[in-house]
Amino acid sequence: MKMLVGSNLERVLAAGHFAVTAEVGPPRGPDPGDVKKKARILRGVADAYNVTDNQTAVVRMSSIAASKILLQEGLEPVMQMVCRDRNRIALQSDLLGASALGLRNVLCLSGDHQSAGAGGKLKGHPGAKNVYDIDSIQLIAVVKGLRDQAMQEGGDSISPAAPFFIGAAWTPLGPPEKFRTIRLAKKINAGANFIQTQAVYDIKRFAEAVRRAEDMGLTDRAAILPGIIVPRSAGMLRYMNASVPGVEVPDEIIQRMKDASDPQEEGIKIALELIVAVKSLSGIKGVHLQAIEAEGLLPDLIKAAGLLPRPHVY
Amino acid sequence: MQYSVLTSSNDVPDTGPGILARKTVECALILGQMCMVDGIKELNQDTEVVVLYCQHGLCDEAKASAWSEQACGLSVRAIMMPCSSKIEVPYILRILESGTDAVEIVACPEKSCKFLVGSLRTEKRVEYVRGLLEKIGYAPERVGISRRLAQSPQELIVLAKARADAVRPFGINPMKKGEQQ
Amino acid sequence: MIFAEWKPLDELIDKLEPHKKVLLAGCATCVAECAAGGEKETETLAPLLRMALKKKGHSIEIVTATIERQCEWEFVEELAEKVAGVDAIMSIACGIGVQALAERFDPVPVYPGVNTSALTIREEAGIWAARCAACGDCVLGETFGYCPIARCAKSLLNGPCGGTRKNGKCEVNEDVDCVWSLIVERAERRGRLESLSILRKPKDWSNSRHGGPKRVIREDLRQ
Repeated sequence: MKMLVGSNLERVLAAGHFAVTAEVGPPRGPDPGDVKKKARILRGVADAYNVTDNQTAVVRMSSIAASKILLQEGLEPVMQMVCRDRNRIALQSDLLGASALGLRNVLCLSGDHQSAGAGGKLKGHPGAKNVYDIDSIQLIAVVKGLRDQAMQEGGDSISPAAPFFIGAAWTPLGPPEKFRTIRLAKKINAGANFIQTQAVYDIKRFAEAVRRAEDMGLTDRAAILPGIIVPRSAGMLRYMNASVPGVEVPDEIIQRMKDASDPQEEGIKIALELIVAVKSLSGIKGVHLQAIEAEGLLPDLIKAAGLLPRPHVY
Repeated sequence: MQYSVLTSSNDVPDTGPGILARKTVECALILGQMCMVDGIKELNQDTEVVVLYCQHGLCDEAKASAWSEQACGLSVRAIMMPCSSKIEVPYILRILESGTDAVEIVACPEKSCKFLVGSLRTEKRVEYVRGLLEKIGYAPERVGISRRLAQSPQELIVLAKARADAVRPFGINPMKKGEQQ
Repeated sequence: MIFAEWKPLDELIDKLEPHKKVLLAGCATCVAECAAGGEKETETLAPLLRMALKKKGHSIEIVTATIERQCEWEFVEELAEKVAGVDAIMSIACGIGVQALAERFDPVPVYPGVNTSALTIREEAGIWAARCAACGDCVLGETFGYCPIARCAKSLLNGPCGGTRKNGKCEVNEDVDCVWSLIVERAERRGRLESLSILRKPKDWSNSRHGGPKRVIREDLRQ
């Protein structure tokens, strides 16, 4: 992979290391201290840190602001950008702003519909007008245009070009399954450089999907990082299996959490096994770790997986 | 107890419309007996119930398009329909708007409807009207449906009485002229 | 058809409370097809509203009239004789009809009795589903007859998103099929799956409401 942007994530992957990314959820409030707290916990455990963009359509500190705070704390952000709330004008404008602030990685997503509201736990804004002016794949192409042609979607130029290492999401087990790899190809053709997947629990099925991607030559053109979410309880896994599209949790894993005397410990064990399993798959270039509102679990997990210290690549 | 009859059974021939009259008298007698048994107190005003019944809901000997009966605080007006599915939502509402306290619909049981899905549709409409009544603060009990086949007039009146009983706790229809609430 | 549903009855009652004589105007086209504003519905709503207002101590006279379409002046004119003497009109036609009556019968206030919300087909008795979003740039030729603008919650042109449920329903509304699942399946059945690998570029929304309020002039049809 030739260096497009020179972000830490890109350099780590280009050097052939098994990359680690972790997710940081911005606070539901304006206090930069909340972001700094998470930065302190997670400093040094990953090569880049995803900052979510009003995830589940819940208003939180903006991804661009929280990303900048992380950057100031010495962590490299992956700014997530959804298409739900901003039209192509706002998206491109924020991309230029993000670039000006030193942000170099962006993950392009369609974004949860505003009826989501944190799975019914919060009120959210279900009455909001949604935007969805462009979709995630069109956004990837837009970012690529800003980077490689110094050109906006509408045809006007920008000066200079805005360098971004472009990420996209993949839900390999979502129906219609056969099409998911074709859609992955679309994203990579549009310009995606790295891929983070929906949470993986069923290694066998995931491996099959990765093989299909490999057959299409996709694993050489973009770095695939499977998502690993640390299980906290059997209930959480059952919920995810039933209600989170694209997440398939084998019964054995749910049973293990159910039978565990210390669910937290068992969850970490399971996460570790998953990391080891995906690491062994050909075509997998790293791992993307999520511990929703439990970032404190990640440093020990990453250490136990033998993935520390993170490499310094210059 | 007070009751009025349309005609006296002694003057009535045993065929045709006379049969209706005879049945009517018999209903009155039955109602009278029921009143004695139940000890129903007379109301200041009769509870008015309109019974809309499918022609097949009434046994053959007493078919007529409309008849009425009054006894023990209950005033029943019965109207025969070719099929209960001819009863539309506006009709039910207009009957209630005119001041009737309750409407009882007698429709054929599910598998017996001669028009296959007629009585099923009627039931859905009754549910719909009950929902509408509730939304405007009227008791949904003011409309009801029974699924019956080949009833005698007496049996229809019993159904009307049951409907009147269901509605009595809610008082008279607010639409009765000069009445508030 | 243009799809509408009754506004909450409380809202209608509040609006009519200050009035003495109201014309409840129905329309025999779209809103009749979706059981919201046709003659039957005017005959349902009129007694219902009278009963509701009577219970609140208001005697109101509600007269009803249903015309073929409230979006054509020649039919709207038929209401003129009924409007004389009313102090308000409630129209249960779509927003177009409400505005036509408001324009023709000014200064009589015209209240909407329904919320117009979609362009639908009646799938079967009692079920209406959105089919068209009036986006002004129809892509049905590329999506095998399924509209991704109206039927995808995110209006994706390069769907499906990661939210398709296991049973093929949309993440946002479980009563609704993921339309991109349907598009993919149909493409596959016709041996045209590769056509969905082409990146569809961002849509030009300017021929819809997004381009500003539409006013179209056809000189060839003007008199």
